[in-house]
Amino acid sequence: MLLKISDLSARVAGKDILKGVNLEVRAGEVHAIMGPNGSGKSTLAQVLAGREDYEVTGGTVTFEGSDLLMLPAEERARAGLFLGFQYPVEIPGVNNVYLLKAALNAKRKAAGEPEVDAYEFLTLIRQKMKFMQMNESFLTRGVNEGFSGGEKKRNEVLQMLVLEPKLAILDETDSGLDIDALKVVSAGVNSLRDPTRAVVLVTHYQRLLDYIVPDRVHVLSGGRILKSGDKSLALELEARGYDGVLGAQVA
Amino acid sequence: MTRTLQTSAHVSSAALRSFEAQWRTRAADSLSPVREQAMLRFLELGLPTTHDETWRYTNLRTLTGHSFIDAPRKTRGEIEPNASLSLLDAKERAATLLMVNGYPTLPGVDTILNGIEINTIRESSRLDPKFMRRYLEPLSDADQKRWVLLNTALFVDGLYLKITTQVATPLVILHVATGDGLDNVAYPRVIIEAAPGSKATIIEHHVAQGEHTPLNNSNTLLALRQDSQLEHYRVYATGPGATHLDSLEIRQDQGSRCKQFTIVLGGGLVRTGLEAHLGQPGATLDSYSLLVGHEDRHVDCVNTVTHGARDTHSSQTARAIASDASRVIFNSKVIVDAGAEHSQSQQSSRGLLLSPNAEIDTRPQLEIHADEVKCAHGATIGRLDPDMLFYMLSRGLDRDAAQSLLVYAFLADVLTDMSVASARASIENALITQLPDAQILRKFR
Repeated sequence: MLLKISDLSARVAGKDILKGVNLEVRAGEVHAIMGPNGSGKSTLAQVLAGREDYEVTGGTVTFEGSDLLMLPAEERARAGLFLGFQYPVEIPGVNNVYLLKAALNAKRKAAGEPEVDAYEFLTLIRQKMKFMQMNESFLTRGVNEGFSGGEKKRNEVLQMLVLEPKLAILDETDSGLDIDALKVVSAGVNSLRDPTRAVVLVTHYQRLLDYIVPDRVHVLSGGRILKSGDKSLALELEARGYDGVLGAQVA
Repeated sequence: MTRTLQTSAHVSSAALRSFEAQWRTRAADSLSPVREQAMLRFLELGLPTTHDETWRYTNLRTLTGHSFIDAPRKTRGEIEPNASLSLLDAKERAATLLMVNGYPTLPGVDTILNGIEINTIRESSRLDPKFMRRYLEPLSDADQKRWVLLNTALFVDGLYLKITTQVATPLVILHVATGDGLDNVAYPRVIIEAAPGSKATIIEHHVAQGEHTPLNNSNTLLALRQDSQLEHYRVYATGPGATHLDSLEIRQDQGSRCKQFTIVLGGGLVRTGLEAHLGQPGATLDSYSLLVGHEDRHVDCVNTVTHGARDTHSSQTARAIASDASRVIFNSKVIVDAGAEHSQSQQSSRGLLLSPNAEIDTRPQLEIHADEVKCAHGATIGRLDPDMLFYMLSRGLDRDAAQSLLVYAFLADVLTDMSVASARASIENALITQLPDAQILRKFR
């Protein structure tokens, strides 16, 4: 089991948001977590990535068998967990490429590998940028500085492709994308699919799942996973809405 | 020769008595009338206290009990080679002029160097005392500037530079402060005149050598004639024991453009004054302050920019960081005189607190006596953005490295506007050394 979440509860700014989440993700799988606004989807993603101001009040999370909640955010990242942000932050003055290189080197160092060669790194990043159809100017700009919503999401996926995480949690990476960008982002995610990795997609819309076909679909509502199923659950949600599918279970 | 001074002022402290004693040892020179006036006014006013509006944040009480004597005169040969480390590579600078404790050590008098005439103030005023006095007499309200008055009264010699053409390579003035015991005082004085249509870059770099750093009371005047352009840097890199009280005066004529960088990287107590007068239409001043406080340092920066004519422009950009138990103050004031219509000014001040024991104070002020002007100001003080920090941690960066990068990014606004690439690189380097996790930051550059 790559990720095992048992009875996870968490609180943000004094308010209980997660109220007993259970989820198991095996290597090679793609899971989609759907749910109405305010159901706790983004909180789950941030708690897994290690955001400190989100207080875990109960439950356990193991990542490859060890306690994930014990680790600070940076060590989770180095262990192979990646969060694609719903709202990637702009950091003017810190270059995109420098950040990415530092991130890759931090991961390599933790794995006992040597630092990446500068030329090799640039070749790698250019290749991934081409795949993500990103503009050359990206190389010289500050992290997400002045990027459009779509560019920021492409950048998240680019970082994921360079870092090759074992588990990628993508928080509404599809929101704000036009159809062409959605295809590019989906192709990026699909290129990472392999038997050793897993992806958790947090999304509002079934649309993304036409391009990235999930193995499992979960509905998170009121801080709990109320229903799980295969990809047909997403289609059912699209047709009948959360109320229709969950009925009286909705909090 | 002993000189007398007719003053009714009650000379109350040991420090004032010692300054008066220094005056008595000075030989009369062609500048004596101006100097005597300054000395009398200084003794009347005494040392500034925290009751003085612009000295509210800096207490100089500890100075009053000391008896100051002149810092020693030293020759070029007595200065250790490493003290002449310049901010610029040899091939990138026109020359380095050395001033030790305020005494210029020139290769010879009347030197002309790639379009910059270099002379001592003493020699220039001997040749034309009237001309030089104009540069020493204070601007209208400047007779409250006590340290300037004291410098005017007591500086023995200084540098007078006249830029006559468009000079491509920067000139460095290396100020070395080096005492032979406690209670030394130095009075460096520099006058830089940019002739009409001329253009140059001048870097004043303050360093210290040895165990005892004199009290440094320095003063620089920039006079920009019509359509001249001057980029001026003053960089403070003295040790934690140094007290430095510096004043910069800028006088600008029609169409002149001045870009001024004040960079405080060192010193124990550093007070920098900037007083600019945009006296004729079309004059433009862009001033930048980069203030770094750490340990128990005290940095106090006071700017006053007066728009004295129509269509004048000014901007002031300040970035301050304070860590440990340091204190950084940045106060700026823009005055738009009556008749200075269509003037524009901007004040942007941002502070970053890195420790709960550090303090930053900032206050932009505006005083407008004209119509149809555009004046904007903004000031913020905050801590590192937790969202930015989390984003970097979530990518696997060390917390220290992430923090250092964010601090560095915060200061970048000032750095990117420096035109001299090698000066920028040296300043960046010096800056990085002061930030936590310097090694990691170096890798990023």
